[in-house]
Amino acid sequence: MTHRTRTTVLVFLLLLLVPLAVSGLTRLPAFGHYQGPYGDVINTITVHARHVTNMVSAVNYDIRGFDTLGEEFLLMSAVTGVAMLLRGGRGEATSARPTRVLRRRREGRSEAITGIGRLLAPITLLYGIYIIVHAQLTPGGGFQGGVIVFAAALLVYFGEGYASWRKTVRSTMLTLGETLGAAIYLCSGLYPLLSGAAFLQNTLPLGQIGTITSGGSIPIINLGVGCAVAAGFCSIALELLEETRLP
Amino acid sequence: MSYLINALLLLLILTSTSVVLTRTPRRQGLAMAANGCVLSALFMTLQAPDVAFSEIVVGTVALPLFFYTALSGLRTGPRSDPEAAPLKDHNPS
Repeated sequence: MTHRTRTTVLVFLLLLLVPLAVSGLTRLPAFGHYQGPYGDVINTITVHARHVTNMVSAVNYDIRGFDTLGEEFLLMSAVTGVAMLLRGGRGEATSARPTRVLRRRREGRSEAITGIGRLLAPITLLYGIYIIVHAQLTPGGGFQGGVIVFAAALLVYFGEGYASWRKTVRSTMLTLGETLGAAIYLCSGLYPLLSGAAFLQNTLPLGQIGTITSGGSIPIINLGVGCAVAAGFCSIALELLEETRLP
Repeated sequence: MSYLINALLLLLILTSTSVVLTRTPRRQGLAMAANGCVLSALFMTLQAPDVAFSEIVVGTVALPLFFYTALSGLRTGPRSDPEAAPLKDHNPS
């Protein structure tokens, strides 16, 4: 395709699409003026209907539970894809133990970085777990807590280096975490079917509003998602970092 | 509040443009991290702390890390040994 043809196609498409975009943009609701009915309905009924105070969790894990199904499946496919692609060149077994790189120039970390890593990693881990178990009460949830746990694992890597990181974050542990998370999600989805309810329907006792056990199946699903997300992100990081260890 | 939102939007425009205009990949990773930071602050200001949590880890930590990992996996120098071991030989099977 020559330059001239490309420009003609571009001009033609711009003439076609720019009026559409402009007419759409001019009819947008004003900034900060929410118009849809669903948010108001959810804000009104959910506290009493589901005994949770974090509406986002109520929507994602109960009222519109298929959101999480998509997220879980997407992350699982990403981890599987990365592992298949990268382990194909290395062999499956090598991932279980860290590769040692010979003749690599070693630059020592400054004590400040190691110290900050040691100080922050446990606090970050605790915060991630806090976010996961308080999914139905305060902002955050399984995914957010999971990625914060992943950040804690990365702080270990930044502070201590690759070999120590692999000793702390075991790849068998990651595989178990990913599988356990998916299993918890699947079980809490299939359990309602036993009593004749729909997939992922919240049939567990709802508990007291404002306590850590409130919300029926919402905290359980969040626990599973947190496990799967933390382990999934760590596996992706592990496979990618292992790839840079090739001599 | 609206001043804060405006300031953050301006900062967002600046950092996003800097991601595009930075030509060195090493600096681009840092620019992406700065962009993620500003974006999560904006989400926080717009009362979406859930999204801010995800953005601050994924955009500020995970994305630059994967970016730098991919960069360090590249071999850009001239191949010194003409019979350098291909990828498969790394695996002792």
